[in-house]
Amino acid sequence: MTRNARSDALHSAVRGFAAGESARTFEDLALEIADFQRDFSPGFARLLAARGAPLDCVEGIPGVPCDAFRLARVAVHPETEDRLRFATSGTTSGARGLHAMRTTETYRVLALSFGRQALLSSDHARARHVVALAPRLDDPPTSSLGYMMALFMVDFAQQDDKAPEHWLIDEHGVNVAGLAHAGRHALEADKQLVLLATSFALVSLLDALDGKRLSVPESTVVMQTGGFKGKTREIAPSELRSMVAQCFGISEQQVLGEYGMTELTSQLYEATLPGSVLEASRHGTPGVYFEPPWLRVVPVDPTTLKAVPPGEVGIARIVDLGNVDSALAIQTQDRVRRVAGGIELLGRAAGAPPRGCSLAVEEFLAAHSS
Amino acid sequence: MSDLQTRRARLEPLFESARTLADAETERGKQARERLVASSGLSPEGVNLAISRCLESAPPEAEVEALIRSTPTAQVAHVLLSANVFVAAHRAIAIGLAASETVRVRASRREPEMAELLLARAPRSFQLVDELSPQAGDRLWAYGSDATLEEVAVTLAPGVAFHAHGSGFGVCVLDGPTPDADLDALLARLAEDVALFDQRGCLSPRVVLVNAGSGFARDVAKGLARQLEGLQARVPRGRLEASELAEITAYRDTASFTGEVFTAGLGFVSLGENASLLLPPVGRNIHVLSTTDVHRSLSSLRPLITSCAFAGSAQERNALRAFLPGARLCNVGDMQSPPFDGPVDRRDL
Repeated sequence: MTRNARSDALHSAVRGFAAGESARTFEDLALEIADFQRDFSPGFARLLAARGAPLDCVEGIPGVPCDAFRLARVAVHPETEDRLRFATSGTTSGARGLHAMRTTETYRVLALSFGRQALLSSDHARARHVVALAPRLDDPPTSSLGYMMALFMVDFAQQDDKAPEHWLIDEHGVNVAGLAHAGRHALEADKQLVLLATSFALVSLLDALDGKRLSVPESTVVMQTGGFKGKTREIAPSELRSMVAQCFGISEQQVLGEYGMTELTSQLYEATLPGSVLEASRHGTPGVYFEPPWLRVVPVDPTTLKAVPPGEVGIARIVDLGNVDSALAIQTQDRVRRVAGGIELLGRAAGAPPRGCSLAVEEFLAAHSS
Repeated sequence: MSDLQTRRARLEPLFESARTLADAETERGKQARERLVASSGLSPEGVNLAISRCLESAPPEAEVEALIRSTPTAQVAHVLLSANVFVAAHRAIAIGLAASETVRVRASRREPEMAELLLARAPRSFQLVDELSPQAGDRLWAYGSDATLEEVAVTLAPGVAFHAHGSGFGVCVLDGPTPDADLDALLARLAEDVALFDQRGCLSPRVVLVNAGSGFARDVAKGLARQLEGLQARVPRGRLEASELAEITAYRDTASFTGEVFTAGLGFVSLGENASLLLPPVGRNIHVLSTTDVHRSLSSLRPLITSCAFAGSAQERNALRAFLPGARLCNVGDMQSPPFDGPVDRRDL
């Protein structure tokens, strides 16, 4: 079979797995994808050879460090076949990395499948209005988050994802008037409002509102994602959740976190939204993120990269079956702990602190990219 | 006595203190080594190598004179020392003494030993203090990370002259192929430059640029790994912190994905081509980059480069000297022992 035929078959199998229509297990698919990537990704083949371990179990699949996306192309196919290229924000480590996709269908299916389970409450199956506290999507899209938000606008509410009134950050910052208008529109039309936002955009909104409340339907759901990356003042997640809930006059369970990365195809969510499929099955508490069945987070020791015992803190190795054409497993520097069936996010592991006059790696990355 | 002679005289007790400390046969020399092993984290062999190669206990008189002439005077000289490269205390204090008869030194809290050892045999040369509080008309020479220096800068009283020597690293440039026999010797010297202080110094090489084709770059990477492997047996790496070990793991895997990696004792030598420039973490790791344009490969790094070892034509050496005015240009093997004529780097921060 050719490379693209194998890729297409694997994409199809992963989408089937996500739909519950596959006889193959997570392990089966992970090993098949790893085998495919060994054949067509020279970097992955080298990484595997350096480890010297056989490719016979999911635990043995090495994670490609996120830095590799910044330094090299992480894809089984040539650039000419890229359908989309998502760029990392690059604010933590300097230069930007790229996640190239040969097909967007798997991304679409997986993002929507788990997004619906986490963000949509069956109590409010009626009409919805979706807005994003984010800049309007580029054409072609370069932000994986923006792309996902656009998918949600179309799928959750049959909206035009190009309409500027749905994207509420512009060159002047957060468009508070636009959000107020969206709230009024949802109230008048008896729609559920779904607000998709980054944490720093929410902080900017709260700063702009300066204690004032916004009128929105009581069924409103707020999805918050991402860290602050130096873009605004930082607020602890629990405090931000509380402030956002207060601002909109909704319960804290309706403000839920999403964890995603440009280097991934899939996302994790908190399972707190009353009436959602995810909440019904996982009964999540704030601060605990749940994986979809096609993704696994393994907390590993940062030096040995071996899995740490349950309940101990490690850095996240993430095996995402959606990453058929890039890196099945990625090694992040995000500190995580497995708790109550989910994952607790504890922030990024700091690099070795600068000691004396020797240049620290993080200082280099920041300087070298500027 | 001339001004030069007066200033020179102030340095002599410091040099004498360094000389007695350097002697491994004396009780003081033995005690110094024990204390430095404990505070630096280097192995006993690593401390020995650093003292024998890098402690300038008898610098050439012409260099000392150049140091004095290039050092501005001050009513009081303050010296803030850095951790990691313990011998650097000697040069830093010498610059302070060249500047003023009143020298106040604050040692690194993590590694105070060298300053204390030097003071023990030169008790009237300088004062070791817990805090520095320079006043208008004083000068402060500060060494350390950029973050530390920025913190210091914002607290300074008006009128204090600030000489900041911050973060950086060394590079080695091999411009053109080298015959096999010479290459081994050259890489042995480079391996020592890497291994000194377990690469924690701002002069320590972290990147080698090879302008001689990717095949030769691979030979360099493999040969350097072999030399570092041998050095590990003679001068074992000291202890590293958990966060440093974690950075090495991440670097090893990133480098495996983006290029080739060779085990080099407890560290690694990575090999890349053109764009994939990687800065390895400290702990005896070095990245070899094949390039066809050395200057372009170095251009974005210029402000960070403190030292550049060079092997190649005289013409390119001169061009590189002009291209990197802030760095010490030297022969391979001399990166950790720049002339004793001023601060270790030439960068004006």
